[in-house]
Amino acid sequence: MTTLTFPLSRIEGHARVEIEVRDGKVVSTRFQAMEKRGFTLMVQGVPAEQMPVIVPRICGVCSTAHHVASVKALENAYGVQPPKLADDLREILLLGQIIQNQATSLFVFTMPDRLGVDSIFHITPEEADATTQFSIARGALKLRQLGTDLISLAGGQFIHPVKAVVGGMSSGIDSARAEGFRQRLLDALPAACDLVEFYWEISLRMKERIGSWGDDQPAYYITSTERDTPRYNSDIIRVMTPEGECCREFSAGEFRNFLTFEETDYSYAGRTSYEGGVMRANSLARANMTRTMGTKLAGDFLRRLRAEFGHPAHPILLFDLCRGMELVYAIERSAALLEEPLDKEDPHVAYTPKDGEGWGLVEAPRGPLIHHYVIENGAIALGEFIIPTVHNMLAIERALRVAAERYITADSVNLELERAVGRVVRAFDPCIACATH
Amino acid sequence: MYTKSGFRHPNKIEEYLMIPKTPPKFAVLQLSGCAGCEVSLLNANEWVEQFDLVYMPLVVSAYDVPDVDVLLISGGVRSDEDLHSLRHAVKHAKKVVAVGTCALSGGVANLGNRDEVREMFMSQTQRRDLPRLLPKSQPVDDFAEVNLYLPGCPPTPELFMAALLEPPDFSASMNVCQECGRKKLKDMKPKHLTGFQRGEVQPDICLINQGYLCVGSSTRGGCRALCTRPGHPCVGCRGPSDILIEKDSQAWLTSILRVFDVMTEIPQDELREALVSPQLALFLFQFADYAGLGKPPRPKEKVL
Repeated sequence: MTTLTFPLSRIEGHARVEIEVRDGKVVSTRFQAMEKRGFTLMVQGVPAEQMPVIVPRICGVCSTAHHVASVKALENAYGVQPPKLADDLREILLLGQIIQNQATSLFVFTMPDRLGVDSIFHITPEEADATTQFSIARGALKLRQLGTDLISLAGGQFIHPVKAVVGGMSSGIDSARAEGFRQRLLDALPAACDLVEFYWEISLRMKERIGSWGDDQPAYYITSTERDTPRYNSDIIRVMTPEGECCREFSAGEFRNFLTFEETDYSYAGRTSYEGGVMRANSLARANMTRTMGTKLAGDFLRRLRAEFGHPAHPILLFDLCRGMELVYAIERSAALLEEPLDKEDPHVAYTPKDGEGWGLVEAPRGPLIHHYVIENGAIALGEFIIPTVHNMLAIERALRVAAERYITADSVNLELERAVGRVVRAFDPCIACATH
Repeated sequence: MYTKSGFRHPNKIEEYLMIPKTPPKFAVLQLSGCAGCEVSLLNANEWVEQFDLVYMPLVVSAYDVPDVDVLLISGGVRSDEDLHSLRHAVKHAKKVVAVGTCALSGGVANLGNRDEVREMFMSQTQRRDLPRLLPKSQPVDDFAEVNLYLPGCPPTPELFMAALLEPPDFSASMNVCQECGRKKLKDMKPKHLTGFQRGEVQPDICLINQGYLCVGSSTRGGCRALCTRPGHPCVGCRGPSDILIEKDSQAWLTSILRVFDVMTEIPQDELREALVSPQLALFLFQFADYAGLGKPPRPKEKVL
């Protein structure tokens, strides 16, 4: 038996892929998360009210999602309902995270695969035409920064936000700053659309070259965004069948009735399945499971996606295209939310801490994120984090097998496999810091 | 390159031939952490034009650290792989910068260094065929010489840019208070601590006046008070100010207690108990003996 090992770069965290081959047949494909910090154990005994400051440190990329999920879990335990204004401010926070994350995944992580370079900071004139050569890296970083600046505006700190508090938000956004930022978003929108359009084109070219959009077998899809238009500050988890029917709705607290979680001995991250089947979360799941995007330009992208690839769409490289659509959506949607009055009412209600159990849910860039706390004597007795990347583990390994079988024959291994492994994993944009926590 | 006349510095040849100076090369080694430092670095767009980023697995496909002018190291040493990568990488760097609280002193990982947690961690977590986890998360300078410390969780893009330059181009304010701009009032003296995160923050008034456990008065400046200005008490992620950085944690504790003694009527016992609670243990006192590192203090000249 031969084992092929592929270290991975341009993903969040430390991971590698191992493919076992016997007599030219692929025996197994494994996606291994290689790090572990142990947050579930670390938070034991921590005063519950301090969790919203501690848990963003699970991941500097997804920190906003953890911050909001944590506050919602405490609110659930204390029986507090935040005012609507706080819900909207949290939505702005999560949209900031979508902008930041999707811009990073699209342009920093996956665009180099399409241009055949090591990174967007190393694009030479031979590899891109003169007009795009310098604008890509700068434009991509600017868009990322737009996202983190939006997180700062609504959340205080730019990486580990602080303004979501139990009962609401510690303050709103005054109209002058909101209007200033809305203009910035509107100014950035055409450049974002151009970059997404360019990305779509180079993706088509890559598909022509490699002859495939990757694993296109049907799968279950899971999201917590709303049925009609995306909302990331979510309440209910939904699962769609491989045929495209919405089959289940359940709350965060009921997830064990529907999803099966298991550990493996070859990875520091676990994995989940739905009724024993492969499940997919992240951008393609959201695109398959929303009726409309609810904004003009992102709506155009969705119609184009549905016209070209049908519904539900299964090929994995569409995850990347859907991230582009969401980047545009998040800019349009946050600009619309910033037009509303965000500092007229108190964004916060009083509360009394108490012991008990709480569940917090948000739609993170990679899918539904659940925080589950049991509080005893004001301290965390159990802190559980159900991470969206974990829902994609089986799907990643299945897609790796499809790629491996394509490039490994009885006689030889096509070295395109190395690039294919990178493309497959990056399509799912896994977050290893979160998945292992 | 060695010749009969001895070692010739390649820069001199370049100067002689009038070859334009190449931009300084830098690398980023990410150990066990959250990548928040990397995200912050990516926000500091200016380096794209001024520096050549040759190694940073998060954004560049490169599998080995080449020779670099500056090596930034983030995250703590949590596994044997972290340790091997660290030892290997520092050999290739002229200047080593430890960035972020995890690399400096453990950061959030210190919550896992408690004995009762470590026992469970070691017995439940190890996996076959994966990097072996070490008993504790350890700071970078346990294993390698560090030329510059860049504290913060994470350090701001402005601080990252400053750290890349040689010598660093930055002089921080003495403490967070100086950058915060909230007014300290003489006649507003709370009798008890307000809950840690209870919302309802009055604008423009010092958080201590409002009963929040804010430690910005003795925390190193340079972050532009980005937490306290929107209303969140400082948790001390930048570590102690220059006055306190070479002293033990008791000096920092005393300094904080003195500020509260002057500005509030909160009982000292209540303050002491709150100051050693876990969320502050994340950051506070980590430079000194509180984290149980048993290390000599880091010289203030080496801390940005």
